[in-house]
Amino acid sequence: MKKTHSIIGVILLSLLLAGCAGTQSRNTDPENDPWEGYNRKVFAFNTAMDKVVRPIAVGYDKIMPDPVQRGVGNFFRNLDAPVTYANQVLQGKFRQSIDTIGRFLVNSTIGLLGFFDVATKMGIPYYNEDLGQTLATWGYEDSRYLMIPFLGPSTFRDGTGRAVDSFLNPVTRRIYNDGRWGLYIVRGIDTRARYLDQDAELNEAYDPYVLMRDVWIQNRQYQIYDGDPPMMDYDLYLDDDLDAEEPVTTGGQ
Amino acid sequence: MKLRILLVLAITSIFSSTLFAQSQADDPVSLVESITGKIFADVTENLDEYTANPELLDELVRNDLMPLLDINYAARLILGRAGRGLEKEKIKEFADCMSNLLVTRYSKGLLYFSSNIKLNVLPQRGDLNEKLTRVRTRVTLPEGGEAPVDYAFHKTSDGWKAFDVVIEGISYVTTYRNQIMPEVQANGIDSVIERLNTGQMQLAD
Repeated sequence: MKKTHSIIGVILLSLLLAGCAGTQSRNTDPENDPWEGYNRKVFAFNTAMDKVVRPIAVGYDKIMPDPVQRGVGNFFRNLDAPVTYANQVLQGKFRQSIDTIGRFLVNSTIGLLGFFDVATKMGIPYYNEDLGQTLATWGYEDSRYLMIPFLGPSTFRDGTGRAVDSFLNPVTRRIYNDGRWGLYIVRGIDTRARYLDQDAELNEAYDPYVLMRDVWIQNRQYQIYDGDPPMMDYDLYLDDDLDAEEPVTTGGQ
Repeated sequence: MKLRILLVLAITSIFSSTLFAQSQADDPVSLVESITGKIFADVTENLDEYTANPELLDELVRNDLMPLLDINYAARLILGRAGRGLEKEKIKEFADCMSNLLVTRYSKGLLYFSSNIKLNVLPQRGDLNEKLTRVRTRVTLPEGGEAPVDYAFHKTSDGWKAFDVVIEGISYVTTYRNQIMPEVQANGIDSVIERLNTGQMQLAD
């Protein structure tokens, strides 16, 4: 238990640092991202780190045959089953929580420690829940965007949730206590490899920081609502002055 | 007597169901089903030709998909207050640029999915109101699993038109808007149009 969770340390530190974030250069989304000044610094730090991490992820992606890479992904995803289960219970999703137990038992055994996602083939659906999502469904809907060193985009709520989840997950805790933290380096590389396709998009963006934030926040909202978020209010996007001229409603071209 | 009533009932029900079917034909769900169905069938049939000549596929997408979209509305949502004071031609030029970008991306997507492409359009749900609705679809990915792709539709004088695509909760309009609005404000619309046009050429190789 001594150095159980470096992840927790990183998250706590970043929460602390964000709290004393100093003057801000830009404020592109004061509502969701009041800590933008601090977040941009962490983003720059993570981008610099990525100069080292990315080549490793590229190499990993090249060497690993796709089925093996899928297996590695399945393995790590299976380790999170206890977190999903506990949060399904906390959200009152009891029927789904039984699926999650079923998946975990099947994949950990027949699926050889989770490498093979046998459960999906058997028709047991996959769900993804965590404490951040639970807190959101309990009414803690809006939380400040927070860039976490090494780990990337999050919010105050979700970062805290992640720390608690990883602290309480008996499976990952066991792995840490056994001193197999090297697995987490593999997980990091594997996760990074999954985002390689999106690098070009990010690099070509006018403001990569904002792109990452937008994509993350919207996708997170989607997870919180289990894939069915309320439709957004597009009217807010229209400019009243421009609108007043005359409504243009031609159908494409 | 009873028989006659039944017969009348049967005829009226047939009649009303054809009427119903007609009015259904241009609802957003049917539009997405018929148009994407047509495009996917065409791609599956002529995959080799389109792989060799992607510009033919661009043409197909432009002709078949674009009439479903309200690009001008999307462009106005994206520009927001950055479109203030711009001439109508400029906004049109920007909208054209967005539609080119969309065509290229959509074609590339089609080639990526190639012949395995499967689209499942989910039934319309309660959130249909008179002006705005969402059509939810699931695209089966070549490597397994499904990607949720939703279309936002609004009603125009020209029928229902889509103006936003939302993939895994990520809205194209929102994402583009937050990139393009500040860029227009900083560099002006002409520079943005030029960049998007060159960016599109980069995407094409």
